[in-house]
Amino acid sequence: MIPRGAIALVKGTWASWMQYRGFFFVLAFGWMVPPLIYLLVWSTAAGEGAPVGFSRGEFVAYYLALIVVNQFTYPQTNWTVGDWIRGGMLNTPLLRPLAYIWQVLADEVAGKVVFMAFVVPVSAVLALVLRPELRLTPRAGLLFLPALALAWGLRFLWGLWLAMLAFWATRADALLAVQDALTFLLAGVVAPVALLPEAVRWLAGVLPFRYMVGFPVEVLTGQLDGAALLQGFAIQSAWLALAYVLCRVVWRSGLRRYTAVGG
Amino acid sequence: MAQPQITVENLSKTYRVPVRSGGLGAALKSLARRTYSDVQAVREISFAIAAGEMVGFIGPNGAGKTTTLKMLSGLLHPTAGEARVAGFRPWQREADFLRQISMVLGNKSQMLWDIPPLDTFRVLSEIYSIPQQTFQRTLDELVALLEMEGLLTKPVRNLSLGERMKCELVAGLLHQPRVLFLDEPTLGLDVSMQARLRQFVAAYNRTHGATVILTSHYMADVVTLCPRVILIHHGRLLYDGALDALAGRLAPYKLVRVTLSSASGTPSPEVNLPEGVDLLEQDNGSLSLRVSRAAAPALTAYLLNTYPVTDLSVENPPIEAVIDRVYTGEAL
Repeated sequence: MIPRGAIALVKGTWASWMQYRGFFFVLAFGWMVPPLIYLLVWSTAAGEGAPVGFSRGEFVAYYLALIVVNQFTYPQTNWTVGDWIRGGMLNTPLLRPLAYIWQVLADEVAGKVVFMAFVVPVSAVLALVLRPELRLTPRAGLLFLPALALAWGLRFLWGLWLAMLAFWATRADALLAVQDALTFLLAGVVAPVALLPEAVRWLAGVLPFRYMVGFPVEVLTGQLDGAALLQGFAIQSAWLALAYVLCRVVWRSGLRRYTAVGG
Repeated sequence: MAQPQITVENLSKTYRVPVRSGGLGAALKSLARRTYSDVQAVREISFAIAAGEMVGFIGPNGAGKTTTLKMLSGLLHPTAGEARVAGFRPWQREADFLRQISMVLGNKSQMLWDIPPLDTFRVLSEIYSIPQQTFQRTLDELVALLEMEGLLTKPVRNLSLGERMKCELVAGLLHQPRVLFLDEPTLGLDVSMQARLRQFVAAYNRTHGATVILTSHYMADVVTLCPRVILIHHGRLLYDGALDALAGRLAPYKLVRVTLSSASGTPSPEVNLPEGVDLLEQDNGSLSLRVSRAAAPALTAYLLNTYPVTDLSVENPPIEAVIDRVYTGEAL
């Protein structure tokens, strides 16, 4: 059950962030740029008849969905968790009778609301201009929702355990930059995973990054058949479970260290 | 003593800190193998504090005051020893424990920066599950005590340092903690704001019977609020007792100020001081003398019998001077 305090934190943080929504809109725009560039590159290539496997309209649909999914699953709080640990700001939540994870989740949810308020209308306008081709089946639409939720959970928890390494190494956020780079390459941003060279495609299939962004988009755009769907959900859930365990282990021993050396 | 609210037994804290000398070579070497040294921040301190007591923690920078407070509020695990606060072991950080304590840090803020204080207070009331009516009543009371009606709806970042500190106190007290840790609450505030915060803390202690531990480098805070002080130096407890007695213990002398009458125009009489009396200052007919406590009565009698005294006072040295003797290593 979600504690009352966490809901209040969401409201407080949201009100606080709305004070500079302009800043967050610029951030969100920055995160939109790479997929937008690849949308234009691939849809132009396909429009000129290059044999790339997708039609122009299919690329547009794929990338517009990816822009929204990428934004929805992007765990911006991963960056702030490290700052809290390094700056000793962790003392404030540790003195309160509400687990710190609720504070992080509150920031995450509050951020999502602000970012989506920018990204959804912008993507809708782009859709009107670029005319995507999407044959949405009820099954794809229905399966997209759990795939998206699991993708967010995986990306959030995976980044969280990396961010919490700040308990030991002061600049652990370099690992988050590596995670962003791997997501760019292997999660379907630079190109849909199906179009990657075979060895890279195999790697994308077994590593967690595709399941943070590309997988829900593939589900939505109907690229996956029954067996591939099943396998995808299985791998996504397995990585999510591992990320959860890693978070718990890192948080416990990190907190022991924090409370041993002070912040 | 009533049932103790806080008990501390042989509490110790040793930090392990990486050390390396300056320069690139040392930096590279420390990558391969780090060397550590142990810093004993707190060494086997013991004390007990009754419910409703106000105690001042004093000691120079780095004495171990904040480390002790952090252990008592559950932010730090001790290296050794035991402590109980409101019936709990603090570092287990149980929710029921955290609901009964509060720690206000003069140099850290828990306010949400961009929205008015009232919004942060509402969030806190939810985190601490304070019923709406109790929240409103407590808030009204605190706001009246601190005279801050006009501040509640301005964004925190637009408030002055003193106004923000008022907000921190309200934020720390909304859930009516039974134990309050105040770490340098008057840091950077002007004299009248300091005085107002002191009155406020005293009033809160009176009305709620809260136990208060206060650290401050402003002795006026300690003198006004804390009948009892605990002096920590180099992590050791040096003194635990009444503030008045501290002066006697640490600075075993008195200050005697005497003013001699002199007919206008004539030079003030030459004063011969007995053995063991130091002349600190002489200004026309006024003298400041320092004498051991034991010899003070004899000196005053001698002065009154020998010279035309118009005014005479015997005082304890100012507490700042006493503390300074400890900090600089002259006393103890």
